[in-house]
Amino acid sequence: MVKTILIIDDSASLRQVVKLTLTSAGYEVIEACDGMDALQKLDGTKIHLIICDVNMPNMDGITFVKRVKTLPNYKFTPIIMLTTESQESKKQEGQAAGARAWVVKPFKPETMLNAVSKLILP
Amino acid sequence: MNLDAAVETYRVESLELLDVMEQSLIALEHDTANPELINAIFRTAHTIKGTGGVFGFDPIVGFTHQVESLLDRIRQDQLSADSGLIGLLLDCADHIRNLLEPVIAGHPLSGALTGTGQTLQAALARYIEAPIAATATRSGDDHAAGADTPAWHLSLRFDPAILQRGLDPVSLFNYLNGMGTIVRLVPLLDQAPPLAALDPERCFLGFELSYRTDAPREAIESAFEFFREDGTLQLVAPGSPLSDYARLLQTLAESTGQAGELLLRTGTLTPAELERILTREDTPVAAAIPPPPAVTQTRAAAGQAAPSPGHKAADRHFIRIDSDRLQLLINLVGELVIAGANTHLLARQARAAPVVESAANLIRLIEEVRNIALGLQMVQIGSTFQRFQRVVHDVSRELGKEIELHISGGDTELDKSVVEQIGDPLMHLVRNAMDHGIEPVAERLALGKSRHGTVSLNACHDSGSIVLEVSDDGYGLNRDKILARAVEKGIRPAEAVLSNADIYALIFEPGFSTADQISSLSGRGVGLDVVKRNVEALRGEIQVESEPGHGTLIRIRLPLTLAIIDGFLVRVGNERYVIPMDMLVECLEYDGQTRQQSTRQGYLDVRGEVLPVIRLADLFSVRSTRTERRENIAVVRYGHQRAGLIVDELLGEFQTVIKPLGALFSRLATLSGSTILGSGEVALILDIPGLIHHVMTRELS
Repeated sequence: MVKTILIIDDSASLRQVVKLTLTSAGYEVIEACDGMDALQKLDGTKIHLIICDVNMPNMDGITFVKRVKTLPNYKFTPIIMLTTESQESKKQEGQAAGARAWVVKPFKPETMLNAVSKLILP
Repeated sequence: MNLDAAVETYRVESLELLDVMEQSLIALEHDTANPELINAIFRTAHTIKGTGGVFGFDPIVGFTHQVESLLDRIRQDQLSADSGLIGLLLDCADHIRNLLEPVIAGHPLSGALTGTGQTLQAALARYIEAPIAATATRSGDDHAAGADTPAWHLSLRFDPAILQRGLDPVSLFNYLNGMGTIVRLVPLLDQAPPLAALDPERCFLGFELSYRTDAPREAIESAFEFFREDGTLQLVAPGSPLSDYARLLQTLAESTGQAGELLLRTGTLTPAELERILTREDTPVAAAIPPPPAVTQTRAAAGQAAPSPGHKAADRHFIRIDSDRLQLLINLVGELVIAGANTHLLARQARAAPVVESAANLIRLIEEVRNIALGLQMVQIGSTFQRFQRVVHDVSRELGKEIELHISGGDTELDKSVVEQIGDPLMHLVRNAMDHGIEPVAERLALGKSRHGTVSLNACHDSGSIVLEVSDDGYGLNRDKILARAVEKGIRPAEAVLSNADIYALIFEPGFSTADQISSLSGRGVGLDVVKRNVEALRGEIQVESEPGHGTLIRIRLPLTLAIIDGFLVRVGNERYVIPMDMLVECLEYDGQTRQQSTRQGYLDVRGEVLPVIRLADLFSVRSTRTERRENIAVVRYGHQRAGLIVDELLGEFQTVIKPLGALFSRLATLSGSTILGSGEVALILDIPGLIHHVMTRELS
């Protein structure tokens, strides 16, 4: 079965790169532009991994993670958060909310692929 | 992997983000402590940098990183955003904008660009104090293991809650298998409760494994990157001295004997080796060795103060479409409208009721499609207006005046091509208002006016036209000075009697400039006549209103230049003409006596008001074939002026596609285009503003 990954970031181009990287590695990728949008896409579809930016309009990544952890279908779904070096406090908030995996922006496509493969294989 | 499309998205996205950054910075100037604004600015830099790094656009990333660092300090209240700092950040935004094209194209940066970058970085560094090192790039190289490499020993213990955090030990093993081989894996089951008491959402397993890989220690540890805080990893390198294993045994939770058993099962130790360790257990050697390099790390405590993210316009669910494709769609919809009309006509001629009904249905749908297709071309003027914030900010500084820009009607929609072409004329008018309209601060105070001058931009719809207004609360136009200047320049003879509006309109004449001093902004001779030309090229017109001492208002009236219009079809002789529906006010019938009168005088009395009339048959030299005594008049309006068009027959409403007339007819004042009727005949579209102008000039002469 193909593994499905949800990428949430407000930058369309970043989403495109991540999508390209992951789809060419054999994953299926769904995009969302912010937390609110992403929650709407968590409609029962099997999602194997969520990649989520921290700093987004409408609903930020931390709030999103907290919400995901309350959804029966998705509370065990691994979440990779995207962050920058300057966001140490965010990282802790995210961890408190239940996200454990991190990729630091800016990242190379390989780095993202590598991080994803630590959590799920295609 | 072809990233071209993504790169293009990045370029467009970055330009938009820079616009947002610019607007927020200018707003910040009046609202220096607004955390929403600071966050919005921070996020733009953050996204440009973050995504730029993904593409490897290092010059952008490096520079934006500095900007971001500075913004971060503002965000944490370590710096306050004074106007000097905002000015610097605006320059930085410009620099990033300038970097985009060459960096994306992969060209080397020009010397000037590099110089600006260095100057700005130095300025930024003064605020940041110490420049921050360039962003680190992280890599996670994979290594494949040779079969004969000696094995590492890995000892893993997990927090029972890891499953709830989305971490699955299986994924860890999968990953390890990707860069080496797990030779043996021994699960520790003794922590697991009996099945009846087992909580399937918790993980009670620990693992001992022997792992063969060529990867260095850091690579193996990096596999546990995400597990660090939810478990412990102990690594013993292949070929380590027995004391290392001894220390491992001591730190494992199980009693040393049990743990030793585990190491035997994974094949890490031979029974003889275990025996030797166990016998040396109490020797001080082990104690002298520093604690094991467990991957577990303690987290530094930090404040929870997290700024709430600002709200950006919810414009994320849009699709970008190539404007050529859109144009093609609109052209095709135009053809569809004609084809639909044709079908409807044929059905009526055939008197086939069901077909007529079906055709009517079809036309209704086509109309809907047409409206939607045309709507796609419409954009709000707001973003164009917003760009002037920056101009006003910069220019007012340059002039040493205090000027605020007020924007209203930003949600007014107009054709994209019009928006693109009206930007420059508006810019000219705004600059002109700032330069010549608004008084210097001292003068304003002396006049009892507020310190801040105000320039306003307004947009609205008015009877089928778009009205854009640029106004200021400055000097107002000096009627006498303008007139004197016009006479001096020979634009108007001295004896001409002109209304105020006519005099004000003179400022748009070529070669006209009353500025006593030539400033860097305007007054360079390429004056307002350029604005007039541009507006007229869009079939628009300019009106000026002014009150001395209170300011000036310049009103640009533009047609909704769309490919398709609602028209009203009229017949004169054998010719058919289309009047744009939104300029038609009413239709009148007049008897023959009035007709005589109107022919003589060129105007009618309509409910007590004077209405100038034009006989289209005369104007276009068409032989009138009117049979009835009564005369049909279509009353049209443009702006404040009305006129009556005398025609043979009123044929009713008609939807039509504008086909531009060839270049040969571009100077024709009274016709704006042509169209094809359902019957295949050609009808000409009347240029109402041109016609009204024609009437007015005739009246004057």
